[in-house]
Amino acid sequence: MIAANIMTKSVLALSPDKTVIDAMKLISQQKIRQIPVVDSDNRVLGVITPRKLMKAILPKYIAEGMVEDVRFAPELPEFSQNIDSLAFKKIDELLDRDFVSITPGTSTMEIAALFVNSKKPIESILVLDDKKRLLGIISPWDIFKKLWDYADKKRNN
Amino acid sequence: METNLIIALVVFAAVYALLIWDKFNRAVVALIGASALILLGVLNQEAAIHGIDFNTLGLLIAMMAIVNICQKTGMFQFLAIKSAKMAKGDPWRILVALSIVTAVVSALLDNVTTVLLTVPITFLITDELKVNPYPYLVAQVLSSNIGGTATLIGDPPNIMIGSAVGLAFMDFVWNVGVIIPAIMAGTLIPLKFVYGKKLKVSDEIKQRIMAFNEKDALQDRPLLIKCLFVLAITISAFVFQKPLHLEAATIGLFGAAILMLITKEDLHQVMEKAEWTSIFFFLGLFVIVHSLVEVGLIESLAAKTLELTGGDMKVAGLTILWVSAIASAFIDNIPFVATMIPLIKGMAPGLGGPEAIMPLWWALSLGACLGGNGTLIGASANVVVAGMAHKNGHEMSFIKFTKLAFPLMIISIIISTVYMYFRYFIG
Repeated sequence: MIAANIMTKSVLALSPDKTVIDAMKLISQQKIRQIPVVDSDNRVLGVITPRKLMKAILPKYIAEGMVEDVRFAPELPEFSQNIDSLAFKKIDELLDRDFVSITPGTSTMEIAALFVNSKKPIESILVLDDKKRLLGIISPWDIFKKLWDYADKKRNN
Repeated sequence: METNLIIALVVFAAVYALLIWDKFNRAVVALIGASALILLGVLNQEAAIHGIDFNTLGLLIAMMAIVNICQKTGMFQFLAIKSAKMAKGDPWRILVALSIVTAVVSALLDNVTTVLLTVPITFLITDELKVNPYPYLVAQVLSSNIGGTATLIGDPPNIMIGSAVGLAFMDFVWNVGVIIPAIMAGTLIPLKFVYGKKLKVSDEIKQRIMAFNEKDALQDRPLLIKCLFVLAITISAFVFQKPLHLEAATIGLFGAAILMLITKEDLHQVMEKAEWTSIFFFLGLFVIVHSLVEVGLIESLAAKTLELTGGDMKVAGLTILWVSAIASAFIDNIPFVATMIPLIKGMAPGLGGPEAIMPLWWALSLGACLGGNGTLIGASANVVVAGMAHKNGHEMSFIKFTKLAFPLMIISIIISTVYMYFRYFIG
């Protein structure tokens, strides 16, 4: 099996001039882990993840890991207020450009290895063509479920 | 001999120039300089290794290992928060409290680690107080370098001086440490005039600081107990270093080994986090400076310096103090001290022998360590805090920092001058 067989083809994507409000609407409508952001040519510029949005509302010294654990500190009054300032930000400014992508021909074993061994936790993997255009998306459950079903079918035969 | 002298001088000057240019990693520069001296035949490898002060390297590595394990306990965050609460949430008093904690921790650990651990807590506290963190950052940078001056293990120049001259931990405490509280006061009082008025908040906001729970910072009690135990025996051993007849590296490495044994920490992780670039920087520098000694350059420089001071201890001491301070404000104090050590040693015979020149070592220590406060690039802690400030959207620029810090550094050197004059040079 290869990526093209298991990816979800109808991918919701946003253009970079949309705001965080638009992104949140999409997220509450669909249960998705990350939203690809594409230009007019359907080329992927980056992704929006909850991790990145949370990073944007945390003080830098926490988000950058200068102090990782803040259980000793009372909540900063600004913390929840920061969300309001985020609402009308263009998602362009909050893009995570360091996303994981593969080509449609990538083997499932390679995809599984990517999920397991990546240093940065991967929400899902984007499938792009050679021009970086978005073809589909693969979540960890997608791939595991496809492999499971395949093995199930073989067992039953 | 003559060609060797020229080669050694050229390599030394090139290394210094590259270090000031600050374009390449300083460890790489020092190692290239050191190996060039061997390749060009100024000294052979055996002589080069002979020039390396393994006592300094051993102590540095040992302290890095101990700190790497101890910082996991959150004890430094605990101290910072505790001090802020003891200041009852008052912004100015918190600045003083954090400065004192920074100074005390820096006296026992390296300055960069101290600021890396305490400055994020400062950001949290100033965010709660809604005050500008800049005055706190400046105060902590200055306090870190001042506190580091107080002990043998507080700052690399002291480690190098102590090791080369055979000075013990308490020698530094009695001769340099005793003036440190006065220098802290001489730094914080002017800061009060500059920032005191701006640092005022309502009682309601003060209460936010009291809502911190410092005990939650202590994450691993069993590890904490082990760390405190090893820190206690290591520091006691340093206090009794002289009667115990032990070199500093022996004490440090023994402490580090015991800590690694009883905590069963992953040795790879502990060792990986050691500042190996600093270690190799020292290693290369020792070889380069040793070559200057071998070719006789230091000897003739010492004679020249002696001539200039007219064989007068007072002139020599105060000159070393001021020249070291000004030099260390602009260049890395480690290569400077590495060069000064053999130079001062070379002056000993003309000034009445090794015992008589002891004040010169204290002058070098005070000058080189405190001088680092003069500019933003004067010491590693300054550069690190400026980087942290930048990441959090607060600019600590060279000019802005220097305008305030340089006069404060001069005050600290004036206090040192008065101290040295009355303690060592009167009569």
